[in-house]
Amino acid sequence: MDLLDNLTLGFSVALSFQNLTIGPVATIAMLLPITFHLPPTASLIMLAGIYYGAAYGGSTTSILVNLPGEASSVVTCLDGYQMARNGRAGAALSISAVGSFFAGTVGTIIIVMFAEPLTRMAQKFGPADYCSLMALGLVAAVILASGSVVKAIAMIFLGLLFGLVGTDVNTGAQRFTFDLPELSDGIDFAPIAMGLFGIAEIVVNLERHLTRTGGTIKVTSLWPTLEEVRRAVPAALRGTFLGAALGVLPGGGPTLGAFSAYTLEKKLSKNPGQFGKGAVEGVAAPEAANNAAAQTSFIPMLTLGIPSNAVMALMVGAMIIQGIQPGPEVMTKKPDLFWGMIASMWIGNAMLVIINLPMIGIWVKLLTVPYRFLAPAILLFCCIGAYSLQNSTFHVMQVAAFGILGYIFVKLGCEGAPFLLGLVLGPQMEEYFRRAMLLSRGDAMVFLQRPISLGLLITTAVLLILMALPSFKKAREKAFVEEEG
Amino acid sequence: MNRFLSKDFLSGLMFIGFGLIALYFGQKLALGTPVRMGPGYVPRMLSLTLLGLGALVCIIALVGGSDPVERIKLKPITLVTIGIVCFGLLFERAGLIPALVVLIMIASLAGEEFKLTEVIGNIIVLSVLCTLVFKVGLGMNIYILRGVW
Repeated sequence: MDLLDNLTLGFSVALSFQNLTIGPVATIAMLLPITFHLPPTASLIMLAGIYYGAAYGGSTTSILVNLPGEASSVVTCLDGYQMARNGRAGAALSISAVGSFFAGTVGTIIIVMFAEPLTRMAQKFGPADYCSLMALGLVAAVILASGSVVKAIAMIFLGLLFGLVGTDVNTGAQRFTFDLPELSDGIDFAPIAMGLFGIAEIVVNLERHLTRTGGTIKVTSLWPTLEEVRRAVPAALRGTFLGAALGVLPGGGPTLGAFSAYTLEKKLSKNPGQFGKGAVEGVAAPEAANNAAAQTSFIPMLTLGIPSNAVMALMVGAMIIQGIQPGPEVMTKKPDLFWGMIASMWIGNAMLVIINLPMIGIWVKLLTVPYRFLAPAILLFCCIGAYSLQNSTFHVMQVAAFGILGYIFVKLGCEGAPFLLGLVLGPQMEEYFRRAMLLSRGDAMVFLQRPISLGLLITTAVLLILMALPSFKKAREKAFVEEEG
Repeated sequence: MNRFLSKDFLSGLMFIGFGLIALYFGQKLALGTPVRMGPGYVPRMLSLTLLGLGALVCIIALVGGSDPVERIKLKPITLVTIGIVCFGLLFERAGLIPALVVLIMIASLAGEEFKLTEVIGNIIVLSVLCTLVFKVGLGMNIYILRGVW
């Protein structure tokens, strides 16, 4: 059973990294090189395993030590850690595990239902439609970036520019390669991701000399009380459906799902004062929502080839490196890969519950490893990983260079995610743009004449206008303030 | 606080800088026509847009104000970068172990605490682990210590 082996490997790696509180994007970036030595299906299944493992491990550390490994677990900290302090750590962990599993199952069913019709729709898309779809995807991603919208859009364009480095496919001309033969295939995606997310994160943590405080909490019984179950079930159900719906949106994903689910529960609750003091609903709903969204955010990536968040951008990058062009053809031409991944999703969700709960003791131990041991070790794995991409030290140097760039981004408050999305979509977008213009004999009106393209562009424009509106701006800022608080 | 040293104003300058670099190095690329675009068409479009956006970010920052840049600590970023570069230089020439020792030493210096015994312990554990995983396990074609293994 290759599928199981790869999944297990992905999980065990992801869970251990996650329990060292390294975010999923950094984890996946670091592990990308390992997967290149595997056949495509196996490598993608492993990456998907890492993704779930990371999404899931984050809740364990949130509940036990109040350290969210990633943005989507931040809300779980609010009530999860409080539950743990009230002696309900075991109950919080099992509620989040079962809720996540249920949400994951629903998410997988939704993928199966929507994959085929969406793929069929996508096959009708012409080059102009694709170009507009990508524009929509990129702009939608900006909503999620905190801080200035203009800055996030500029980051997209910067990413698009970096994506152009290399040989021009149509003419063979070298672009921005500075006569370096290593750059003629473009800048490799993995060193960029490692530098921007891995190295920069380590440096910032070293600066803030991250200390692990918060006494470790003893886990007694994993069984929730009847009362807790009664309150958790409806919350998990609502969380699942809200998360699943938000995950499909371009720019959506686990974080958005978790935050919205938490807000919804707080609004629906008869005594909202309980939230933040260990409310069961405050754990069940966001945990279910972030898992459901983690699942459904695969839909735009698998059917249309449009990544909706940074993790999906990494998956697209991994597929391209494996020689698979993400998009509607994946399902028709590589059914084994497509359905293998979907099957792995469900098995993965079930396995996480089985693996994670009994091993909580080990995760707690891992958390006591001090950062001064970890940081050099992570750097080392990044370096060896980068080298192993093409057995070239040039890639190691790229990691160093993008580490500096990533550090600058952090210091200037520029988000890495829009940059990464632009970088991944850049080459394809140029290709579709040029093809569309060639087909229309240079008439840019083609983007407005095709109904699909026009619809997508109007949506993009509406989003842009909404983001510029003062009232929407305020709501968006408020959402991010809550996130930080 | 100097308003020119705000996060947003400096970001704007960074975008303008990248836009200018792309314009300069892209100037020799043929533009072509909208029907048959040359290799330089899209880069030119993107770099001009980036210039515009950069200017916009700067203006918004000056008019609306923005947070000042956090104080930068040069030590961690410099040492981490030097560590990685040293690793890159040593890895093929000397082998995994020497590269690893130098990287871990330099990277450990970047942190707040540095205890030699701990760092040596870390080096030994990581050397054994990496040799087992990458050389023995994954069978990568690398030198552990050049000339020896």
